Amino acid sequence: MSVHSHPGDDTLLRYAAGVLPAGPALLVEIHLQACPHCRAAVRRFEAVGGVLLDAAEPAALAGDAFARTLARLGPAPVSGPVSGGLTGSGARRDHLEAGPSGSAAAPRAEGLVLPDGVRLPRPLASRRIGAMMPVAPGVRMGRVHVPEDGQSNVFLFQIGPGRAIPRHTHAGTEYTHVICGGFSDPSGHYGPGDLVEADGDVDHSPRVDDDGTCICLAAFEGRLRFHGLLGVVLRPFI
Amino acid sequence: MSALVVAIARTGDREAFALLFRHFAPRVKAFLMRSGLAANTAEELAQETLLTVWRKASYFDPTRAAASTWIFTIARNLSIDMKRRERNMGTVDLDAVDEEADETSGETILMSAEREARVRAALAKLSEEQAAIVRLSFFQEKPHSQIAQELGIPLGTAKSRVRLALSRLRTLLEDLK
Ligand SMILES: [Zn+2]
Repeated sequence: MSVHSHPGDDTLLRYAAGVLPAGPALLVEIHLQACPHCRAAVRRFEAVGGVLLDAAEPAALAGDAFARTLARLGPAPVSGPVSGGLTGSGARRDHLEAGPSGSAAAPRAEGLVLPDGVRLPRPLASRRIGAMMPVAPGVRMGRVHVPEDGQSNVFLFQIGPGRAIPRHTHAGTEYTHVICGGFSDPSGHYGPGDLVEADGDVDHSPRVDDDGTCICLAAFEGRLRFHGLLGVVLRPFI
Repeated sequence: MSALVVAIARTGDREAFALLFRHFAPRVKAFLMRSGLAANTAEELAQETLLTVWRKASYFDPTRAAASTWIFTIARNLSIDMKRRERNMGTVDLDAVDEEADETSGETILMSAEREARVRAALAKLSEEQAAIVRLSFFQEKPHSQIAQELGIPLGTAKSRVRLALSRLRTLLEDLK
């Protein structure tokens, strides 16, 4: 998979810093699986985090902080990797330990039809995905549940050959990750592994290639608005 | 500092742990407060971070990162989890980490120290405003509007200055793997 379109540096930095909201962070995590270039960038930004941490003006700890921590230390850690995860590492895989890219076994979204040989990216494996509802001719979308952030708007799209993602605008940035197939908008053509960022004020309607279905993920920051009749149809759904 | 983590992994060296705690725990607390956590929460997480350093010392790979970087990522992950719990939005399954611990030589420790020095030097080469932009981007969930506010510039200008600052940082760190 050769990736042409990458998240912006500020997105990667915010991801490395842990301040990118969970929705876009999920898409970045998926992109990183396919993109050694951005994995390296995230590692560099994590090193920046280390240097900022090292340079931080120390804050006074509670008087018994060290004693309390010592009391919880327990036995010396065994040498070599121990079983179990990195405590509290959450759903996110650490880039200092980024593994090879992988794919989830089976799609869970009802109504989703994946082209032969296409699998959903591994970070989606533990996610609940709502039923893929038809929202326009040749277009289905299902909500990807991101329970750790109730504000998130992440959708899986399945768009037929030559079809367009419905016209929409939104307040914040829109992140789109291509899983398979491709689409074009005035800024260029995008294919598998690409992550595209678009400013919300752009009113756009990307068109899918004629030669196959496009499956992609989109994360929206801010309130999402579709235009025309579709907006009315979708309102209860979004 | 990397050598201290390695000493914990190898021999469960409590002296090394005490030194790491003294240096990093107050800094982790300050860092977390800067990113918006309350003082008592930041204190808890700082202790938790150092506890994790002790328990997971064998996962630390000094050829890949400096101790400060590794400890930063632990504090970051704990703080992401904390914010998720605070939002009370269900649970997230813990990811198993299957990673081989590497035998580490004195030479590789030197490499990661050098790496850290390179990042420090790069940050020092940024203009004061650019360094401020990098810091603000690190601590703010809505960095652009925050940067615009703190620097007293329009939002659009803030966006382009962020781009400039980060592309300069990227150039300075280009050959850093
Ligand atoms: Zn990339």
